[in-house]
Amino acid sequence: MRPFKYTNAKDVTAAAKMLAANPDAKFLAGGTNLLDLMKEDVEQPNELIDITRLALADIKLISSGTNKGGTSIGGLGKNTAAANHPLIRQNYPLLTQAILAGASGQIRNMATNGGNLLQRTRCSYFFDVAMPCNKREPGSGCGAMEGINRMHAIFGWSEKCVAVYPSDMAVALAALDAVVKVRNASGQERTILLADFHRLPGDTPEKDTNLSHGEIITAIELPKNNFADKSYYLKVRDRASYAFALVSVAAALEMNGNKIAQARIAMGGVAHKPWRAFQAEKMLVGKEATEANFRLAAEAEMADAKPLEHNKFKVELGNRSIVLALQMAINGGKS
Amino acid sequence: MQEKEKVTGTPVSRIDGILKVTGKADYSTDHPVKNVAYAVLFKSTIAAGRIKDIDTAAAEKSPGVLSVITYKNAPKLNLKGGIRGGSMLQSPDVEFFGQHIGLVVAETFEQARHAADLIVVDYEKKEAKTDFEKLHQQGAKPKDKEDEKRGDVKAALDSAEFKVEETYATPIYHHHPLEPHATIAEWQGENVILYNSSQIINGAQNAAASTLNLKPENVRIISPYIGGGFGSKGGQWGNLVLAAVAAKMVNRPVKLALTRQQMVNSVGLRQRNYQKVALSATKDGKLASLSHEITTHSAIKEEFVEPCGDCSKVMYDVPNLLISYRVVAMNMILPTYTRGPGKSTGSFALESAMDELAFKLNMDPIQLRIKNEPERDPSNGKPWSSRTTVQCLQEGAKAFGWEKRKAQPRQNQLGNELIGYGVACGTYPAHQRPSSAIVKLKRDGEDVTATIELAAADLGTGTYTILAQTAADSLDLPIDKIIVKIGDSDLPPAAGAVGSVGATSYANVVNDACIKITDELIARSGKQFFTRPTAAQLMVSEKVDNIQTRADSKPPENAEDYSSHSFNANFAEVRVNISTGMVKVSRFLAVTGAGKILNPKTARSQIIGGNVWGIGMALTEESVVDPRWGNFVTRSLGDYHVPANLDIGTMEAIFIREEDKFGNKLGVKGIGEVGIVGVAAAVANAVFNATGKRVRELPITPDKLL
Ligand SMILES: Cc1cc2nc3c(=O)[nH]c(=O)nc-3n(C[C@H](O)[C@H](O)[C@H](O)COP(=O)(O)OP(=O)(O)OC[C@H]3O[C@@H](n4cnc5c(N)ncnc54)[C@H](O)[C@@H]3O)c2cc1C
Repeated sequence: MRPFKYTNAKDVTAAAKMLAANPDAKFLAGGTNLLDLMKEDVEQPNELIDITRLALADIKLISSGTNKGGTSIGGLGKNTAAANHPLIRQNYPLLTQAILAGASGQIRNMATNGGNLLQRTRCSYFFDVAMPCNKREPGSGCGAMEGINRMHAIFGWSEKCVAVYPSDMAVALAALDAVVKVRNASGQERTILLADFHRLPGDTPEKDTNLSHGEIITAIELPKNNFADKSYYLKVRDRASYAFALVSVAAALEMNGNKIAQARIAMGGVAHKPWRAFQAEKMLVGKEATEANFRLAAEAEMADAKPLEHNKFKVELGNRSIVLALQMAINGGKS
Repeated sequence: MQEKEKVTGTPVSRIDGILKVTGKADYSTDHPVKNVAYAVLFKSTIAAGRIKDIDTAAAEKSPGVLSVITYKNAPKLNLKGGIRGGSMLQSPDVEFFGQHIGLVVAETFEQARHAADLIVVDYEKKEAKTDFEKLHQQGAKPKDKEDEKRGDVKAALDSAEFKVEETYATPIYHHHPLEPHATIAEWQGENVILYNSSQIINGAQNAAASTLNLKPENVRIISPYIGGGFGSKGGQWGNLVLAAVAAKMVNRPVKLALTRQQMVNSVGLRQRNYQKVALSATKDGKLASLSHEITTHSAIKEEFVEPCGDCSKVMYDVPNLLISYRVVAMNMILPTYTRGPGKSTGSFALESAMDELAFKLNMDPIQLRIKNEPERDPSNGKPWSSRTTVQCLQEGAKAFGWEKRKAQPRQNQLGNELIGYGVACGTYPAHQRPSSAIVKLKRDGEDVTATIELAAADLGTGTYTILAQTAADSLDLPIDKIIVKIGDSDLPPAAGAVGSVGATSYANVVNDACIKITDELIARSGKQFFTRPTAAQLMVSEKVDNIQTRADSKPPENAEDYSSHSFNANFAEVRVNISTGMVKVSRFLAVTGAGKILNPKTARSQIIGGNVWGIGMALTEESVVDPRWGNFVTRSLGDYHVPANLDIGTMEAIFIREEDKFGNKLGVKGIGEVGIVGVAAAVANAVFNATGKRVRELPITPDKLL
């Protein structure tokens, strides 16, 4: 851990300004990811701007604009609060399940919604400064590509980086067409679709997201939808709790009679970002919600997977997980 | 006089429990030592070679830094002094990734840690041996283990009707006690006090003294509480003496604590094992032969091979036996004792093979085991001091509902889950080791209190409590009148809390000391008594204010005429998700025959603690090496998956009533180790019964069941 300056932001725009003014500064939210990385010398900010006291924790109905009738979750609200809020539990149980499938009770009590979106990969080569890692140190090489890559990506990776993005919450948010609201140093706001918020590694794996330095996440907006009674978050992992996903699937269906009117499927543990299974979704629309159709959709999606040496199992596991998550969703959460 | 109800054998809650849950129990670095400086280790990032140059200039100039210690300026230590694993800054040579190559001492922990990041090392790399997969065929005979042979295994195997020949693999496991290894060193003239978690107090004292070129009386180990050790705090490692070196060099007390990430290559591990087991049997299930061939790895200069063949030596009556070990020296931290050393991993191989054999024979696995129950210890022909394996199996079967098990796999499905039952046995030797103890009695009017003193260790398992119970009964005092002082090398020397000898050795010597002091009180009274009075009564009736005595106990002389072991039978019920391959152990039962149980509550905790780790061995735990560097990629508890609460279902422990008259006076056999033995096999066997998939390479992660 390097020495750093600790500062406090008095309002949201001021926070963005302070960050913009120092290229080596970082926001401190719950600190559950950032501080771990600083101790290991992976992150090396010279200033931490504490934003925890900013009034950005509200969860409320959106009363105007494109997402009217949807729900807004404050960027500095805690994961625990988001998971348990009645508006979320009733209208977006998929999000509740996904948040509660992540980390532990203690960590979720500290973790913020904005911090959760910006948590960094758990790739062990990224975490160990003795190892090469293009994400941590561009140009140093990828340790995982030919190393131990059981946990790594099967979609969308590049020669530079095969890491996966770890958040569970974001996988559900991707499925729910969530939108991230950010503000910059001039006080201007913009919105980014969650599905476009995180990036594939390409040639710049050091950039996880499309957020610019100097922007602060103020809220996450969930549009109104009809998925609440037919959704499910499935997380397959090496132990029953407190482990990152091998594969996870957020599945949501809206029915029209016995036909699927809308389908949303996002996967975790398979790519550098929450992986929307657009192909599978498209195949399901207008079809009956049968196991056979689920299977065809899953196979279509997984056909493009490019596994690495140790994670070939993720293709079959992804297949099965999509099918199971859809079955659970259609049965209202029961197998 | 009416016989009082004994507290020994009753479920007394830990007498140190309140201290622990209120944060008042001082673990190694909690001791309030004034004016401490903080030391942080830094480690090699190659697995083999030499340090060409080490640039510490920036670190030395960093704020708060008092000293940077490397091989260049470290004092000369005795490398044969008993500290394990080298790693004591004595030369520029590097033998494994993560070897300690320096130490930064600063005013604060953060300053030391930061300065350590500023050190630049230039290495001359050598080719390293890091890939066990590639090296295991080059194994040689270990120095301390001969092949063991009885009869002719090959002939029996060749002619047998039924046989199993399989290789079972277990990964590297780490102890990962919640309290990482940590030391405070404080010099007082020529003497050094080391606050340091130690399972063997006198062992740590001797190793530190010898390594630091001091006499044992110049070194004091203080270790009242231990936040888990599981074998990693049995032997002592570089951190203990490096703290003393640092404190001497900065002329101040020094605190040195390992980070979790540093634990993986600092304090030993359970080595990877390949175990080839061949069993042959007649069609009615009588074993004809058993061979158990083990290949493993050790460090470059030191050798440690865990005895995976031990269970195979004593579990079954089999005329033809072969046990062999091969070991390859690798550029890795020295392996060491790890809970149920050899037996927990060895029993995974043996008891999986027994299950495979039962399946081939179409025989109930419990019946197969009973059929091969040996009347005497097959390894040496001695009678058992006691052995209740058959009762463990039979009572366990009843309590667990074994009759509900389907003989064929995949026959028990509920919704999206397959349910399976598995059984496996385990054993661990029981010994009493020489120990001494002082008992002091003090009277204030009618109020008598006792203090018990010995250099015993409490790993968090209940040593304080069982010794208070033993003394309370022996002296006839209420348990809250007993003060137990342990964990200090200034107290009378005692055995270590290792190898399941702690409870036996400590309880016996405390009992002996209490009997002795009662004898002395009787003699001092000069009276004749019809019934033997108790120490508590005599203190009051004879108005004795203070008295103390010391006992030095050894195992009974005829103990060696018997073979003494604890035995168990483990029952697991698993539920396997058909789609995802995730396994949950929904129920687990361990039935144990371990002689006299001093405290059923702490004993149960010991057993289910061992069971939980065994479930971890079976399903979740694995330390993974990247052979290109020889480093661990699983460096935190986020990557090394010990079971979480949600992984554990209903845990039950039953003790068979056993009166062991031969092993030691109190008939105690020890339970710390046996609790993990046979567990992984029971789980793996249950997974087979559920799914029809035999996983021979642990851990059984979801990908292996797709
Ligand atoms: C052992 C362990 C297990 C875990 N398991 C899981 C799991 O299974 N699933 C899962 O999803 N997660 C898991 N997590 C991760 C956890 O969810 C994240 O650490 C947490 O959500 C991060 O939130 P935080 O507020 O603490 O972020 P911080 O650590 O404070 O910040 C993270 C990053 O976000 C930036 N940041 C924070 N807030 C804002 C904002 N409003 N605007 C702009 N930038 C911001 C910070 O500058 C920093 O760079 C685990 C973590 C640990 C330690």
